[in-house]
Amino acid sequence: MTIALTERTGWKPVRFDASQATLYAFAALLCVLVILPLSWLVIYSLTDKSGGLTLENFRRLFTESVFLEPLITTFIIATSSSVICCSVAAPMGWLVARTDLPLSRIIRALVTASFVTPPFLGAIAWELLAAPNSGLLNKFFRFITGAPQDEHLFNIYSMSGLVFVICCYTFPYVFVLVANALDRMPGDLEDASSILGGRAWVTARRVTIPLALPALLAGAIIAFLQAMTLFGSPAILALPAGFHTMTTKIWSLFQYPPKPELAAAASLPLLILTVMLLRAEHFILGRRGYSVVAGKQSAPRLIPLRWMKWVAFAGCMVVLLLPVILPYAALVNAAFSPIATTLLTPANATLHNINFVFFELSATKVALKNTIILGTLAATLGTLLAVVIGYLTARKAVPGYRALGFLATAPIAIPGIVLGVGLFLSYTRPPFVLYGTIWILLLAYLTIELPAAYQQLQSAYRAVHPELEDASRILGATRLQALRQITAPLLCTSVIATWCFIFVSVIRELSAAIILFTSETKVISVLIFDLKESGDLGAIAVLGLAMLLLTFTVVLFVNRIPGFGSGVRLRNN
Amino acid sequence: MASVELRGLTKRYDTIAVVDDVSLHIEHGSLVCLLGPSGCGKTTTLRLIAGFMEPTVGEIFVGGRLLSSPARTLPPEQRNMSMIFQSYALWPHMTVAENVAYGLKLRKLDRDTIARKLNAILSTTRLANMADRYPGELSGGQQQRVALARALVVDPETLLLDEPLSNLDANLREEMRFEVRRLHDEYRYTTVYVTHDQAEAMTTADVIAVMNAGKIEQAGSPEDIYDRPRSEFVARFIGASNVVKGKALDENHLSLAGTALRCTGGKFAPGRDAALSIRQHDIRLHAAALQAVENVMKATVVRQVFLGSSRDYLVEVADATQFRVVTSADESIPQGSAVWLELPPDHCRALRA
Amino acid sequence: MKKPGFSRRDVLIGSSALAVGTVFASPIRAAAPPPTAITPAMIEAAKKEGKVVWYTSVDLPVAEKVGKAFEAKYPGVAVRVERTGAERVFQRIGQEYASNIHAVDVVQSSDAAHFIVWKRDGILAPYVPEDVAKFYPAEHKDPDGMFATWRAWLCTLGYNTNMVKKEEAPKSFADLLDQKWTGKIVKAHPGYSGTIMTATFQITRDIGWDYLEKLAKQKIMQVQSSTDPPKKLALGERAVMADGNEYNMFQLKEKGDPVEIIYPTEGTPLIVGPNGVLKNAPNPNAARLFQSFCFTPETQQLIVDVGGLRSFHPQAKEKAGRTPLKDIKLMKDDPAGVEKTAEEIKARYTKIFGV
Repeated sequence: MTIALTERTGWKPVRFDASQATLYAFAALLCVLVILPLSWLVIYSLTDKSGGLTLENFRRLFTESVFLEPLITTFIIATSSSVICCSVAAPMGWLVARTDLPLSRIIRALVTASFVTPPFLGAIAWELLAAPNSGLLNKFFRFITGAPQDEHLFNIYSMSGLVFVICCYTFPYVFVLVANALDRMPGDLEDASSILGGRAWVTARRVTIPLALPALLAGAIIAFLQAMTLFGSPAILALPAGFHTMTTKIWSLFQYPPKPELAAAASLPLLILTVMLLRAEHFILGRRGYSVVAGKQSAPRLIPLRWMKWVAFAGCMVVLLLPVILPYAALVNAAFSPIATTLLTPANATLHNINFVFFELSATKVALKNTIILGTLAATLGTLLAVVIGYLTARKAVPGYRALGFLATAPIAIPGIVLGVGLFLSYTRPPFVLYGTIWILLLAYLTIELPAAYQQLQSAYRAVHPELEDASRILGATRLQALRQITAPLLCTSVIATWCFIFVSVIRELSAAIILFTSETKVISVLIFDLKESGDLGAIAVLGLAMLLLTFTVVLFVNRIPGFGSGVRLRNN
Repeated sequence: MASVELRGLTKRYDTIAVVDDVSLHIEHGSLVCLLGPSGCGKTTTLRLIAGFMEPTVGEIFVGGRLLSSPARTLPPEQRNMSMIFQSYALWPHMTVAENVAYGLKLRKLDRDTIARKLNAILSTTRLANMADRYPGELSGGQQQRVALARALVVDPETLLLDEPLSNLDANLREEMRFEVRRLHDEYRYTTVYVTHDQAEAMTTADVIAVMNAGKIEQAGSPEDIYDRPRSEFVARFIGASNVVKGKALDENHLSLAGTALRCTGGKFAPGRDAALSIRQHDIRLHAAALQAVENVMKATVVRQVFLGSSRDYLVEVADATQFRVVTSADESIPQGSAVWLELPPDHCRALRA
Repeated sequence: MKKPGFSRRDVLIGSSALAVGTVFASPIRAAAPPPTAITPAMIEAAKKEGKVVWYTSVDLPVAEKVGKAFEAKYPGVAVRVERTGAERVFQRIGQEYASNIHAVDVVQSSDAAHFIVWKRDGILAPYVPEDVAKFYPAEHKDPDGMFATWRAWLCTLGYNTNMVKKEEAPKSFADLLDQKWTGKIVKAHPGYSGTIMTATFQITRDIGWDYLEKLAKQKIMQVQSSTDPPKKLALGERAVMADGNEYNMFQLKEKGDPVEIIYPTEGTPLIVGPNGVLKNAPNPNAARLFQSFCFTPETQQLIVDVGGLRSFHPQAKEKAGRTPLKDIKLMKDDPAGVEKTAEEIKARYTKIFGV
């Protein structure tokens, strides 16, 4: 190799580095976003109407039965949901990841569909199916068995009904965690067991299950948290059944005259419990870690099920009937039927509901417009925020990056309705009166969706070797330049996936929006909820289907992008 | 080009000092190799020089300018250095040409100049016909050359190399060792080269700094390091050495298995435990006892392996101390036989305690 | 949220009114402004504003139809209907005004007590449409011209004709307490619905809280809005409703759904729903135009025919097939009484029914 002598280019780079300033600005924004509502929440819970410090709110919370009963109810619901979700989702996850279950891709797709369905919509659909007298399933039961009018098989307006609906839309969390853990388990571990003579079942029991246990525990905790902080489903099913949960109680405290101090006090136990459980989850998972880091890994060897194959498949499909197939059918039925729970026939099909929703209901246009605008804004800003904060923490670019990472994931611990209360308290007072504008909703959505977006991008950053940025910096690029020219293009697919993810989550968010909206800033989820109050089921079905259509379009688009991970947490509503 | 000076450089994470009071002066235009096992702090030292982290204590001067100190550290983009990374760090979304021209574009040179320099470096690194390929489409050797081209085209003051050859196969590595040295001779950049491979160090370096547990154990020319190791670690790390322990009789004699061995290269503390090192191929084996020769011990052959061009013996002396001896292939002394070891005093290096 | 109670301004107004009254010492002649007719100028001004926002608790399809009728008559002025339960309307307006947000132009509530509060808080604008001045009886319009009764209806019992035979159907509140109706009743909630709030006030005043305490043991299905029980009956979800809007029942029955109204023998609660213009309306001219429109005989006839509502406009004709008001034993409405005891009623109801 001969290298010609080149001229020396003397070069002294001297320029103002905007990197640090920009990065600090983003960090400050994050602090305001998260810390402000939380501080107001704490302040309000400790003050009384005249502004003095008091523990009265907490005393009332823990002594009056009006508050104690919902607390106990919530705990019971959360625990049972968690247990049921685990017992259903774990075997399914094992079947899909470790055996030769046929058509497992369909199973995974249906699980994704239940992930993406807003729980409150599912609750409404299940009302159509399992209301004791008018529910389609009960009618069918009476039709088959000839039972008298007032007998029914299912009563959705009950605690067990509520737990059932919650489980339907919470089990995907456990499924994804377990399936992912099993997917990543190297086949060697089980091979080692079988070489020593362990048959399939023994291997599963002694090797696979213990290794998947951390993921299962984490899933149980997440399921518990989701069930505890859901608002939409209890609001729809608990009231007719005659009981309150903590979230519906908090919401009821906002009715006239609003008692924000009590609402704040009632929110804090939820918050604290969530934080504790998340620490526990982190502790359980953090020690072992998801991935088994080693040299070469072999793909898992699938356990042959033989004759059990189709039985297992049928079992899975029966489970997936519940969150997806039956409810969607009920919604389609209600959308085109004259009466929501009359079975649709070619004879009585009507477009009346569609006509009503899109041409007569004056709130539809506003709600659609707001939803799409907010979804787009939140997705764009949220992705940007997540990219920069993710960079700051992944590359340790500022002092205190650990605190930043904590702040970015902290909102996971704040239930949606609690955040709504906190934001309401923060922004209905000077200097920033944002109540009544879409900006307060935007803040709520950003805060709620940031953690998941941040985590997604974190794993993307980990996949981009830091030396790629170092190489550009040593050649003269500032941090921001390196981020823009090197890292961002490499993160492209993750960035797009994150954008879509935030968009979809915003569409289905209800628990914060229900506190913060006004007539001008209504969104589709709130509109559906309002319609539920007056019992307009046909209109709800049409809007709900429109919502699902929008969501699935975006999700399918994203899934076309190679490399979109499926282990992603969606916020509950 | 400029000289690089490290003064008392220390980097601590919590209480662990990854780089511990490292002081080194690198003449401008010389190639200094930081050699040591993994975890010894050599890569951290390199990254400190590059400016990717700040020192806990100590300073770094380049060309007399203070670049790094605990109070203020100039960021990498302002140091006018270049670096080749162990993973090459080629940007997968840019072509070879774009990778190489990146630094030039940052310096805001005009298009013609960029094109000219780019073509020059590509042709000399034999990458001209791959300018439009993506790094993922290149072989390991070609990727390494792209990394090289990218680092050199910007005419840095200082060139930093982080184990650049460790990802290449053995043959290519050998060839590239000489290339790196040749390049250096041509351009005379001040170069800091990090590696764990002593053959690379011996081939390429003007000065080798052997590092262990964050400290520089010994710095000197390759001959210095090899012939005159001053500590057990250096002796073991460079070349194949026997390091044996015994008791010092006086300043120059070590007692081992009843024999007094005269050593050179350092002084013992009399009466204390001491060690000596001797290269495996410096020990001579005799089938019969010798008269009037210094440093002769009786031993038994424990094991003998024929390696084609040489024989590898494991012999054991009276107090169960074992020596490895490498001789030419001619003489074969069978296992279990008695043999006499001659340890020439000039090759018996007294080691620092 | 503004606390209910008198501000200093209210005291001032009150005392000056009192003073004026004592000075003149004659039956108070209404301090209402002169009636306003709909003029082309008003229409033009409304068109410039382009829209009117109407918070209402009347059943959604009825509200939308009124809106569409207005838009058809006055093209260029869009109607945005915000329909939610009366108690929530009240809460929303309170929240918005406390944050200085003026989004609503015209408000209609099924809880007449709300208007007493709003008038006292000074957020209503005095405005008297021509029709109100000419045709409406004194007890159904505000003496100061702030609001007038836009609609009236009853809160009745009802049953599903497919599930219950006419002879077996309950005929009174007391009948509902019979064991055979356990688990078969649907009922709405005074915390959400202005209708139910008013009805509960009247029922507990005339029959007593005892009735509600016994009803709570009947395992009722609790819904929110008073528009919901009739719909639940039509769905066949429950056999009997303990309260619900008569006008929804009319709509469903006349559509062919299997529901039938029961006017309880103890008396049927009468609900009136006033309509009023807000002082700080963002679209003041459109607001006044809309208010006038609401009280025209055409609109009143519309709400009677399509909405199943009762009107106090003498020119609105009752639809055939519906029991005329004069034939029904009514409970007396008393908005002031409701206003005083609303909080207590909600709290006590929550205690009894658990939600």
